[in-house]
This record gives sequence, C-alpha cells and structure tokens, in this order.
Amino acid sequence: MKRVAVRNLRLCTKDCICLYVCPTGATDTENSIIDVEKCIGCENCALACPSSAISMVPLEYPKQQPKDDAMVATLNTLAQSKADQEKMALQIAGGTSKDSLYRLMKAIAKSERILAEDVMREAGFMLPQSHNAHAILEELIETPPTPDFPAEAARKLMENLPDNG
Amino acid sequence: MKYICSICGYIYDEAAEGTPFEALPADWKCPLCKAAKTDFKPEAAPAPEDTAPQTATADTATNTVPEADLKKLSAGQLAALCSNLARGCEKMYKEEEAGLFRELAAYFTKITPAIPDADVEKLASLLQGDINSYDSIRAQADALKDRGAARVCVWGEKVTRMLSSLVTRYLHDGESLLAGTDIWVCTACGFVYIGETPPELCPVCKVPDWKFEKIERRAKA
Repeated sequence: MKRVAVRNLRLCTKDCICLYVCPTGATDTENSIIDVEKCIGCENCALACPSSAISMVPLEYPKQQPKDDAMVATLNTLAQSKADQEKMALQIAGGTSKDSLYRLMKAIAKSERILAEDVMREAGFMLPQSHNAHAILEELIETPPTPDFPAEAARKLMENLPDNG
Repeated sequence: MKYICSICGYIYDEAAEGTPFEALPADWKCPLCKAAKTDFKPEAAPAPEDTAPQTATADTATNTVPEADLKKLSAGQLAALCSNLARGCEKMYKEEEAGLFRELAAYFTKITPAIPDADVEKLASLLQGDINSYDSIRAQADALKDRGAARVCVWGEKVTRMLSSLVTRYLHDGESLLAGTDIWVCTACGFVYIGETPPELCPVCKVPDWKFEKIERRAKA
C-alpha cells in the first residue's frame, strides 16, 4: 500500500532530523508541511523523528466494513436523539440571558454533536472515501433538501475523494 | 464497601478513605470527574454469566425498520454525519475536503427544524431516555459481534450520564452552577467538566487537557 509521511505540527519540536534523512527534500518546506509530491514513502523521517511527530498515512483506505441493517437502524435512532438534544440545548441557550444556563447549554450542544458524530461513524460513515458517503452526497445533489443546498461543495468532495468501493 | 463512579470509574473505598460513603455531604463530588454523589453505585457482586444479553433477539426484531426509512436521514443526523466526515478528513490531513464537509454540516445544522417547547426539563427526560436505552443497544451490538457499535456505548453512556447529572444539578442549584468558574468539553468524547482548568487527562477517554475546549460566555451585544 503506497504511503506518504505527514507531520503533526502540534508534536513537532523542530529537531529537524527529518531534513538530514529525507532523500528527496520533501520534509524541507517553509510551512513545515511535508511535500506529498516529493515524498517517496521511504519512512526514514518517521523512524528518525525523536518526538514521533511524523507518521505514515496510506494514500488508499480500506473499504467500509459491512453493517447489519437492524444495528444501523438502532444507531440512527440514537443519533437522532442526540441531534434533538443538541437542537434543544441550542434553542435554550439562544433564548436565555442567564450565564450559567447559556454556557451549560452550549457545552451540552457541543457534547451532543460529538456523541452523534461517534454514532454516525459506527452507523456506516467511518470514511469520507467510502461508497456510503458517496451515495449520500450523490443523492443530496440529485434531490437537494432545499434550494440553497451547497451542491458545489458536495460535487467537489465527490471529485476529490474517489469512491473506494 | 466500595462505591464506583458510573461516569469515570473512580473507586471510593471506605476502608482507605476512612469516611463511610453515606456520611459524605450531599454536595460531595467525584474527585476525578466531579460527578455528583448520586452518580456513584455500590460495587456489585459479579453477576452470573448467563443473565446478560437475553433481550438481544427481541430488541433486534423490534428495532428493525423498513429499508426506505434507513436511507432517509434527517437534517440533524446529516449534520453529525458531515461534521464527522470533516473530522475524518482533518485526520487524513485533507484540509480542503474537511472545509467542504464543514460547509455541508453547517448547512444541515441551519436547516434542522426547531423542537417545540424546548426546555431544561424536557432535555433532562431525553437524556434519561438515552441512558435507559444503552443496555439494549449494547446487547444488540454484542449479539451481532459489532465491536464498533458496542464501543459507541462505552463512552456514549458515560458522557450522557454526565450531561444528565449536570442538567439535574442545574435544575436543583440554578445559576450558582457555573458562578465564578468555567465549563469545558472534551473534543474527543464529549465529556463536560466544570472547573478553572480542564483535568490533566479526560476522566472518560484519557486524552490530554489540550483536547478540552472552554465554552465562552455570551459575547456582550
């Protein structure tokens, strides 16, 4: 599987060993982001980095694992409940002048979104490149929920992230 | 006797602490995650093996919905689906695609219809409903050997219990809940923490403190 090196800027402590070991100069960039055009996937930089800030990521990701329909239905129901709670918390936050209530509801709304995201991930939408994700985007482009649906963004995503099957 | 925090798993061991659990004040909090005293449960004797997932088959049957309903996701679900895929793109260092998924997520957040009569009591009852549902979801996931779905229940249930606990406290304490302090959300699992600084490690998912986000006060108009 072809891989390229990526640097986590948050972990990088600028020891710069990657510059010494990179055979193509891919790690030597002004913005510290490794040049994927130059990277040959040799892994030298990842192995040499003393702060483990460089990892090797695949260019192609594996297929979405199949999911049981009944399990998906259960997870969708749970995600809907989290989404309802997020919406409710945002409505309460929007309608109050009380500081504790406002911040508590904002915190809950954020938390509910994170919970719903995790549920949707396990309900068959783990990977942006998956067939499931593509099918949803395609359907949304064909039948937009409202006229102001950002179809251009959806189209660009389908183009940039080829369906991995 | 030992009492275990249902949110972070902290063990209050009466023998080691010297004070009986019952004697602790009602406003005593979990030293690790600040859950309420009522979120602690006495350490249970190990349950017999064969009692657990009996309801699995029945639940699987009742939860089955027609194929058409499966595919039709609501705006709220699509918002979470898109913001999740945005996170996925971020992790793959695909910044442009992450931005596009965020744009879609923002659109679905915007068109999500309002919930009628939204108030704190109603939110509390929805949270309790979710807490009650985790056992059957876990049983279904275990019966199908769906490791991912089972994992969703682990953090999800703990975080939901924490949210429920905080809402209950707000209903009881009112505006004193956050007076003079801050509130933080773990951006990995959604755990919510009240304090001047976030915990060194998230008590639920163990990520470091910089993964916590502070909720700011409403900007003065």
